[in-house]
Amino acid sequence: MTMTTAHAHTLDIINLNIALPRGQRLLRNVSLQLEPGEVRALVGESGAGKSMIGKAVLGILPHRIKRTEGEILLEGAHLNAMTPATRRSTVAKMSALIPQDPLTALNPVRKIGPQITDPLTRIHGWSHQRALARARELLDRVHIRAPDRVMHSYPHELSGGMRQRILIAAAFAPSPRLIVADEPTTALDVTVQKQILRLIRELQRETGTAVLFVTHDMGVVAKISQKVTVLFAGRVIEDAATRTVFENPAHPYTQALIAATPTPNVSAEPFQPVPAALITELHRETLAADALYAQRGRR
Amino acid sequence: MADVSTNSPRLILTDTNFRLWLPLFWIGLIAAAALFAPLIAPQDPLAQDLMMERLPPFFMEGSEPGYWLGTDSLGRDVLSRIIYGARIALFVSLIAATTTGIFGSALGLIAGYYGGWADRVISRLVDIWMAFPPVLFAVLLVAVMGTGLGSVIAAIALIDWTRFARVIRAETMVQARMDYVDSARIGGARRAATLVSEILPNVMPSIIALLMLEMGIAVIVEAILSFVNLSISSDDPTWGSMIAEGRGAIHFAWWVLLFPLIALFMTVLSFSTLGEGLKQHFDPVLK
Repeated sequence: MTMTTAHAHTLDIINLNIALPRGQRLLRNVSLQLEPGEVRALVGESGAGKSMIGKAVLGILPHRIKRTEGEILLEGAHLNAMTPATRRSTVAKMSALIPQDPLTALNPVRKIGPQITDPLTRIHGWSHQRALARARELLDRVHIRAPDRVMHSYPHELSGGMRQRILIAAAFAPSPRLIVADEPTTALDVTVQKQILRLIRELQRETGTAVLFVTHDMGVVAKISQKVTVLFAGRVIEDAATRTVFENPAHPYTQALIAATPTPNVSAEPFQPVPAALITELHRETLAADALYAQRGRR
Repeated sequence: MADVSTNSPRLILTDTNFRLWLPLFWIGLIAAAALFAPLIAPQDPLAQDLMMERLPPFFMEGSEPGYWLGTDSLGRDVLSRIIYGARIALFVSLIAATTTGIFGSALGLIAGYYGGWADRVISRLVDIWMAFPPVLFAVLLVAVMGTGLGSVIAAIALIDWTRFARVIRAETMVQARMDYVDSARIGGARRAATLVSEILPNVMPSIIALLMLEMGIAVIVEAILSFVNLSISSDDPTWGSMIAEGRGAIHFAWWVLLFPLIALFMTVLSFSTLGEGLKQHFDPVLK
């Protein structure tokens, strides 16, 4: 596939709105960019719409939830202007997902091998041999000791950490331009989390893949990302470089989020919950924005 | 004294091996009887002999050698009729359950996966269907279509597809929400391909268990239709018609009723137990 513009962002989301059938918005005018080789963290509390952004990009929104406004561009190509079939193959060629729950992300009745190689042969048109070799290489890269045995195993025969490593290998196998990592460490033990994060960071640096990293953990944000988008109720609250956000957070909500992150340091101040008054204020803003949006739509 | 817990039947039934081999043994026996009926049956199942009417089974006084389970009121051999009856019972259960299973599962998969209008139409259809009393519905269908093997099979499929549609729809909905379905879609799989290659294998254990249950139900429905004389021509021996005939003579020839009833009971029980056993056997997670 040839690129139309030289300076295309890997991912460009412009004014994205996503809503339930009755019109209730889940994402409110979300815009964000991702440069090649960049890791951008999407943070926010549950229900802030972090995962929805990833799902909208990958075209796997639940079928009642629809994009009502806005554009998504993958390497300069307008996804919304494509037919569903082209869109699916474009997304499949350029992007991959590291899912949240390694227990349900692998089909329990199929062996690991074909689950990794399927997209390689189907979308990238590789030969079975080449796909197998690539799967073996990646499994080896994520420190899986006996790749051939693992590829002949069923998911339930492997541990959660191992499955997550397999999913990481599967995501990086086709050398995608963009990976959406949807809270890849949430379902894992704290000890395993660290390994997984390190692995994603290493592979990301080696391959230069851009990663949209969805998380609610500010500690993870600090470790892995260069840029941060803070979301609240489907709105972008703050969008800045990670260092800036931690050293000098602009929005009170971001400040509260950082203050609410627990640290292992016992002598430090105990972490502060996000103040209820701030949440109420943010919800009031959201309602006002929705009223305005509805008014504009009626006109 | 022996330890009571080791002898409890619960333990035997929860053991997958027994769940598989016990019913398989009985179904194999019935299947062999059906296949080789002319070789096995000691008597002609249709031969009437009024001199030999209501002979008791072999363990009672007054029995005749060669008539192991006694004779009915027309002097026909009960054992031979049970053996020939197995032919119709198994044939009907096999064909009817498969037809019902394919039809119902397909609708259930479509409703559960695509949702929206497809789901609404299929679900309402299931609701409407289930408002009919099934046995009366079957009797009505056969009465309209005429008796015969084909009508019986069609009637069973037409009544019972809802069982598959309901259960498979629910299972499909659960599976469709799993992340691996999304992963397959991101990997470029078409919707229909995802349904067949990702979801279908996951609901297959349930389909198999239901299929076995359905075979048992088909045996019962066929027996019910025979009982009311609506199955196939009254000449062919079926378990249902034998039970119907035996009912009138239960006070002086209980064996005419009891032995086909046992055959029916054992077969239905075997099918449903086998279904559960197979489900466990094929499910890599349960196993």
